[in-house]
Order: sequence, then structure tokens, then C-alpha cells
Amino acid sequence: MATERTTLTKFSTKAIPNDTIERGLLLAAGLFIFVNLLSLWLQRSPQVLSHWFPIVIWSICAIVGHELLRRYLPNRDPMIFPLVMLMTGWGVVLIDRLAPAFADRQTIWLAVATGALLIVAVLPYPLRWLRMYRYLLLIAGLTLLIGTIILGQNPSGLLGAPRLWLGFRSLFFQPSEALKIILVAFLASYLGEEYPSLRRTSTGLYENPILSPRIAGPTLMMWGLAMATLIWQRDLGTAAIFFLIFLTLIYLASGYTLLLVGGIVLSAIATLVAYNLFDVVQLRVDVWLNPWPEADGRAFQIVQSLMAFASGGIFGQGIGQGSPTFIPVVHSDFVFAAIAEEWGLFGVITVIAMLAMLVMRGMRIGTRRQEQPFMALFAVGLSMLIAIQSLLIMAGVLRLLPLTGVTLPYFSYGGSSLLMSFVTAGLLLRLSVE
Amino acid sequence: MSTELALLLLRAASALILLTFLAALFMLLWREYRSTSRYVEANRRTYGHLLVIEEIDSKTIFTGERYPLLTLTTLGRASTNTIMVDDSFASNEHAAIMMRDGQWWLEDRHSRNGTTINGTRLEEPVIITDGDIIGIGHKRFRLELQ
Repeated sequence: MATERTTLTKFSTKAIPNDTIERGLLLAAGLFIFVNLLSLWLQRSPQVLSHWFPIVIWSICAIVGHELLRRYLPNRDPMIFPLVMLMTGWGVVLIDRLAPAFADRQTIWLAVATGALLIVAVLPYPLRWLRMYRYLLLIAGLTLLIGTIILGQNPSGLLGAPRLWLGFRSLFFQPSEALKIILVAFLASYLGEEYPSLRRTSTGLYENPILSPRIAGPTLMMWGLAMATLIWQRDLGTAAIFFLIFLTLIYLASGYTLLLVGGIVLSAIATLVAYNLFDVVQLRVDVWLNPWPEADGRAFQIVQSLMAFASGGIFGQGIGQGSPTFIPVVHSDFVFAAIAEEWGLFGVITVIAMLAMLVMRGMRIGTRRQEQPFMALFAVGLSMLIAIQSLLIMAGVLRLLPLTGVTLPYFSYGGSSLLMSFVTAGLLLRLSVE
Repeated sequence: MSTELALLLLRAASALILLTFLAALFMLLWREYRSTSRYVEANRRTYGHLLVIEEIDSKTIFTGERYPLLTLTTLGRASTNTIMVDDSFASNEHAAIMMRDGQWWLEDRHSRNGTTINGTRLEEPVIITDGDIIGIGHKRFRLELQ
């Protein structure tokens, strides 16, 4: 035993310190962004200043973030911050390439989001508040949702476009993004408190608590919430995310497999009802089943996306050298297709691997916090949030699933989405040291 | 011409950086996996005992009964078992705990009412560790390893 202990300590002194790992990965990320911006600049008329704005802001964010995390959270998970920064940096470069008019706006959002990440990660209060004031937060979130249903706008100002934003002058925010995190926090805190009774077996042998109001109540409530979002907002993606997150969390907390079956049945019913009631859903499903007859019409977007994947090949066309802009609104929902066209299979694999790595780190934090159900469930819930959202949109763009209009976390254009993704990462960083 | 060459080089560089980033991540994961497995190896415990506990109003009370584990420990109502479980919901040959490849395993021996591990019903043999709670009928045992 004694000899084993000494080898262990010898090994752990050899381990690379957290800060070195983080710095190295951030350097590689910065280099990647620099190379791509350089390539972009070579192809455009040299308007030097506007092109260096993203990388300057990105570098400031990375350096400030790294220094603050190094000072206040020495034992944090060293992979989360570099992963997030590389994905966002890549996203900003992409937006600069696809829709240059939006690049500066996104860069400013990046700075705001980094600030939010640092506040959430460095200060202990946000996590505590999310746990203690869960009902208050949930009510606030639901009020925002109802407010959006009544007062919602769409920044593009088109008639008939889904109105999911709350706006003030030229500033728009999508409350459903914030609601996702509030919901995960609420569920983690609720289920964390119910955990002992969910797991109790001492009274009876195998009573079947699945029908008890303790589980059935929130399940139906969540299903109702998801349906309400779907019916009033026509927001298929958010509704799907709400419900899937909820199912995963309650399954994790209770361990009843039957619950998953019930959840699938409920979603199947919801899908059938939605298919018959809403044109949007019907369109999405029809186009998913067979886009080719309408390649010029309703299925134009998805067909162009598939073309982008095909023309990307293994190595991609190179940044600025493909033509992903044929896809309508490529910079928000379809960035994944743009990556496939310009960085090819390599890029796609890297994106999937980075997202998977981030999710895996989150899950790992969860498994390390098993003695505190709230922390474990919250960490897993946040990672599942990223995982489900990424899977929905990546599969949608590839026509593996019907298209649900959600953003690809960290990559897509969109301030509220970026801000909330960064808050998620900040909370994971905080959970990794609590 | 020279611009094209530069673009090609930049493309190659960007792909190379991406691959390096990924390789570094996988290398770090591998190192972490190795250090974790060494840690587990160093903390592997080959001696253990079961403590009988009672749960009353979600409070845990130790009854003081303590059974050391053998490399094959059987639990059940019959008096031929290593640990006799005096409970009306226990089968004659209810469960077994055994040492295999340096790990402690818990197996249900087709008992009528099943065995639970931390409140979940056992479907197949599982590895158990320090602090796990094994349930047979109304009885609860806590595993303590040294």
C-alpha cells in the first residue's frame, strides 16, 4: 500500500497544471481564428480595421477570462473555457464571412457574454440564488414567456414570422433562451430535494410511484408548458428542448425506465396533434420526408444545406471559397452547413468532437458531485441542454430529423443564445469547483 | 497566383491547428484517464464487512451487527448461508457477494422479492463499493471496505 501511495504522488506532481493546459488550448484557438481571418482578409479588399475588430475583442476576452479564472478558480475544469472560446471565435469568423453586417454586433455580444460567464463563474451568488429562489425565478421566467406571447416581436419585422423576441429600440432579447437555464435550475433544485423520497425503498418493496403526483404532476405541467410554447409561439425547437430536458432530468433522478416510454408516447401524441394543427410543423415534416420534389420551393433551404455538405467533401473549400450563402439565413440556424462546406469533414468532426467534449466534461462534473443531488442534476441538466440543442440542429441541417429552428450553441449568430450559452459554461465552471 | 498559394497554405494551416487542438484534448483526456485508473488501483480494497442498518423516519441507525466478508459470502434465510437474513421477505438463497478480479460483486440468486442496491432493483451482477447500501426484504446492509 505504501509504495502505491508514493507512486501516486509522484505521478500527480508530473501532471500538467490547469493554467498551462488552458493557456495552451487558448493559444491554439487564437491561432486558428487568426489564420482564418487572415485568409478572409486576403480575399477581400483590404479594409484592415473592420477585420481586426473581432480578433482583438476575442483576444481581450480570452486573456481577461483566463487571468480571472486563474486567480479565482485555480481548481476549475481546464477544458471548458478554451472549448467555449474556440467555438465562439470560430462562430464570429463565420458570421464575418457569411453576413459581414452582423459581425460587429456579434463581437460586442461576445464581450458581454464573456463578462456574464466570469460573473457567474467567479461569484458564488448566482448559483446560490438559482437554487434558493427557484419559484420566484420560475414565475419571472413564465411571466417573460407570457409577455413574449403578448408583446413579442421579430427583429426582421416580417409579417407572419415567429415573434419570439422582446425588443427595446434596437435591442432584442429572446426570453425562451433564459427560460431554458431557469428551468434546468428549477428542476435540479426540485428533484434534488425530492431525491430521497424518489429513491426510497424502505417502506414497501416495489411500490410503483410513477403515478404519484410527485412525478406525474410536474411531468404533465412541463408537457403543458412545452405544448403552450408550441401552440402560441410556433417554436418547435424550444418546445422539444423543454420536454426532452425535463424527461432526462426526472429519469436521472428517479431511474424509472417506464418514464422514458411514457415521455416518448406523450411526444408522439404532441407531434401528431401538431402535425395536423400547424402548417409550420406540417411543412417541416413533409420537407424532411422528401425534399426533392420541392427543391425550388418550400424545401429550398434544406436542399441547399445538403448541397453544401456535398460540396464540402473531406477537406472543405476553404474559408470564403465556398458558396454557403445560397442557404437562406445561413448565419443563424445553418452555420453547421456552412462549416461543412468550407472546412469539410474535418471541420464537422471537430465541431462534433468539441461539443461532445464539453458535454462530457459537464457530465463528469455531475458524477463527481453525486453526494449533492442539486449540483449533480444541475451539471448534468446544463450539459444535456447543450447536447440536445446541438443534436437537434445538427441532425436537422443534415435532414436526419425534421428541422427545428434552434441555434447551434456557441456558433450561431444571436445575442441571447450566445449570452445564455456562456452563462451555461460559467455555471459548469462554478460547479466544477464548488 | 501567389494569393492562391497563400490561401491554400492558410487552409492547410487552419486544418492542422484544428487537428492539433483535438489531439491535445484527447491527449489530456488520456492522461486524466490514466491518473484516475492509477488512483483507483492504489485505493483498491480487499477487506470489507457489512453493517446492518435500520432506517427509521429517514434517519439511519446502526444496529451494531457486523459481518466480515469472505471471498464468497452468501445471504439468505437458510441457516447454510454465511449471513443469515431473518426477514419474511428474504428467500432461502437470496444473494451473494464475491471477490472477482480485485472487485467486490453483488449478485441476486433468483430471489423471489429481489435485491436492491442503493434503492435500485438489481437486474444483473454489479460491482459494489464502499458505502453502498444493499437491501434484502426489509433489511439494509451497508458495505464498508478497508
